[in-house]
Amino acid sequence: MNTEQKQEKLLFAERPEWSDVDPIPQYETSTPIAPILYTPQYKDATDYFRAIVKSGERSERVLQLTEELIRLNPAHYTAWQYRYETLLALSSSLQTELELMNELAIKYLKTYQVWHHRRLLITLLRTPQPELQFIETCLRVDSKNYHTWSYRQWLLSHFVDDDDLWRGELEFIENVIGDDVRNNSAWHHRYFVVFGCGVRSGSEDRARIVRRELIFTKQNISLAPNNPSAWNYLRGILDYNRLPYSLCTRFVKPYTLPLDPNTVDIVDLENPPPSRGAELPCVYAIEFLADIHEKAGDKDNILKGVDLWKSLANEHDTIRKKYWEHRIREALQSAT
Amino acid sequence: MEDGIRLPCFNRAGHVAHAKRCMSALPASQTDIDASRLALAFYNIGILDLLGVMNDGDTISRQNGKDEWLEWLWAQQTQGKYGSGFRPSPFMLLHPPAEEFSDYNTPHIIMTYTALLALSILRDDFAKLDRSGLIRLLRACQRDDGSFTTTPGGGESDLRTLYCAFAISAMLDDWSGVDVERAKSFVTSCRTYEGGYGQDLFCEAQGGTTYIALASLYLAPSSSETDPLTLEEKRQTVKWLMSTQTSSGGFCGRTGKVGDSCYCFWCGASLKILKMDHLVETKTLASFLADSQFKFGGIAKCPGEHPDPYHTYLSIAALCMYPPSPLAADEKPDSWEFPELDPLLNARVDTAEWARKYISGKGHRT
Ligand SMILES: [Zn+2]
Repeated sequence: MNTEQKQEKLLFAERPEWSDVDPIPQYETSTPIAPILYTPQYKDATDYFRAIVKSGERSERVLQLTEELIRLNPAHYTAWQYRYETLLALSSSLQTELELMNELAIKYLKTYQVWHHRRLLITLLRTPQPELQFIETCLRVDSKNYHTWSYRQWLLSHFVDDDDLWRGELEFIENVIGDDVRNNSAWHHRYFVVFGCGVRSGSEDRARIVRRELIFTKQNISLAPNNPSAWNYLRGILDYNRLPYSLCTRFVKPYTLPLDPNTVDIVDLENPPPSRGAELPCVYAIEFLADIHEKAGDKDNILKGVDLWKSLANEHDTIRKKYWEHRIREALQSAT
Repeated sequence: MEDGIRLPCFNRAGHVAHAKRCMSALPASQTDIDASRLALAFYNIGILDLLGVMNDGDTISRQNGKDEWLEWLWAQQTQGKYGSGFRPSPFMLLHPPAEEFSDYNTPHIIMTYTALLALSILRDDFAKLDRSGLIRLLRACQRDDGSFTTTPGGGESDLRTLYCAFAISAMLDDWSGVDVERAKSFVTSCRTYEGGYGQDLFCEAQGGTTYIALASLYLAPSSSETDPLTLEEKRQTVKWLMSTQTSSGGFCGRTGKVGDSCYCFWCGASLKILKMDHLVETKTLASFLADSQFKFGGIAKCPGEHPDPYHTYLSIAALCMYPPSPLAADEKPDSWEFPELDPLLNARVDTAEWARKYISGKGHRT
């Protein structure tokens, strides 16, 4: 907190409109663990807050007190809880509260309580639509913030029947992935939208959806092959739809080899080749191809898989050497 | 890979001093832990336990302030209409203190879990523990979907609280406070296509919540008879967990992120629970944690950052499961020796044994 803010506000103890309240200090044992050397402002606000909680007062000035307290410590969950109950008791405008939260959420993006409070408000207000824009603003500040993404997933699943809310979601997530193809939160969200949250009307033709998703993912892999998020998503599509990984054999193979300098740019939607300048071979492709061989199960295939794992263990992914050797042992055991 | 790495000395004395400093007064800049102070106490007492300065002799413990700490921890136990447990700190306690807790000064499940562990480290006999009150608290906090709220009648709910409820039940050796099946189905619903678990329904796979999910599933009483995961699920989870070790040696919390010392514990302990700890590359892991040490004690989330008790405790806990080997003589091998850790409860094995014995009440002499 800067000095300017410190000066501008009187302590509650100095404000005439609070003179009827007797502040209640915090009780602490004589030898506390890790006592905090509170600022006079925080001590003052909590002394008045304890007094209010004890008397059970619900009033406009309680809203003011809890807001100031939350600004001093956004993790003060009791202040949030008391504030929420006071809003309800006074039938205060939740819309006004939401506007205040727009400011606080950006300020305290990593605090649980800000988001919990927001969920409570939207559950009552039932106005999810403008939230999408708000979330986009938050994502511009921190594009991988866990709370922000969780909130978007909660919002969409809580209002799952709201077609207007859902209408632009695929386009939205396409743009976020376009901005940063390595943003795993965005890929996860795509999975949530396309598969995780159930089938929406207009997307019942699952074969078409699966084809669209495969093409989208392969295109993104072709542009940036060494991106684990896209490879995990590719596996996700296949697993969810119970499709064999071998469906992607032709696509995967070129990524397991050194880059072919004679490669020409061809447009092949089903099997887009690595883009020029790609760093190959790609660890995730080798792992994927080895899985295909392992699944086939016959001895010949197992041995091909073993060779791939060996190349990971000894050359391309040595930090996981013991893991790849474990995969080799496992595969050889099941083959005999 | 291991050949090129030369580890510096692990600064044990510095980390002990850092933990002790963080147990005395904290600056106002740390006001945001007012409502979670007990967790901070647990991390600091835990650091001292893992570094072997807590119970190597009662004199040392008393010098460390054991009696005062016990007094403060027990002062956080509180009773009321929803049962009993520990509050984060007296931040909502009125002066003079009232007998019963109000709706705004209730026990908190996460803090209760950390209190029970901290008291076990201090080798308390738990004569003062209100066991039936704890069971009532857990009942009051479980929701219809199987998850738990942090405090009775409100507060956020996610997988963290569920884990703490399970750990408390395991230490009590009494599961009557939780609907285990409903809770397990909530955990299962947090599983994602990547093989990890998210914090809540539909959330992205994350190292911390994956640990929480696995530890919960394997703490549950039925897990000794039937494995909570299918073979396929286990393989997928191991694959994802293994992928989180970055080239720096440190583990990251989500796909594509950078190494962070706390995830060396969360992901490392997950692999330990799945009995795949032998696959982890320990020397590079230790080198990442060594580089994250702060000059004046404490460990940061990554090299170049400032330390805090949370990252310090979890880094050392990771080293307890993954001590680096082999070590050369000039790498000060004795500075890199750690006690064994119970990955399910997140405590030294002897501390976890104490917890299970005395919190359940079975250790008491008649
Ligand atoms: Zn961390």
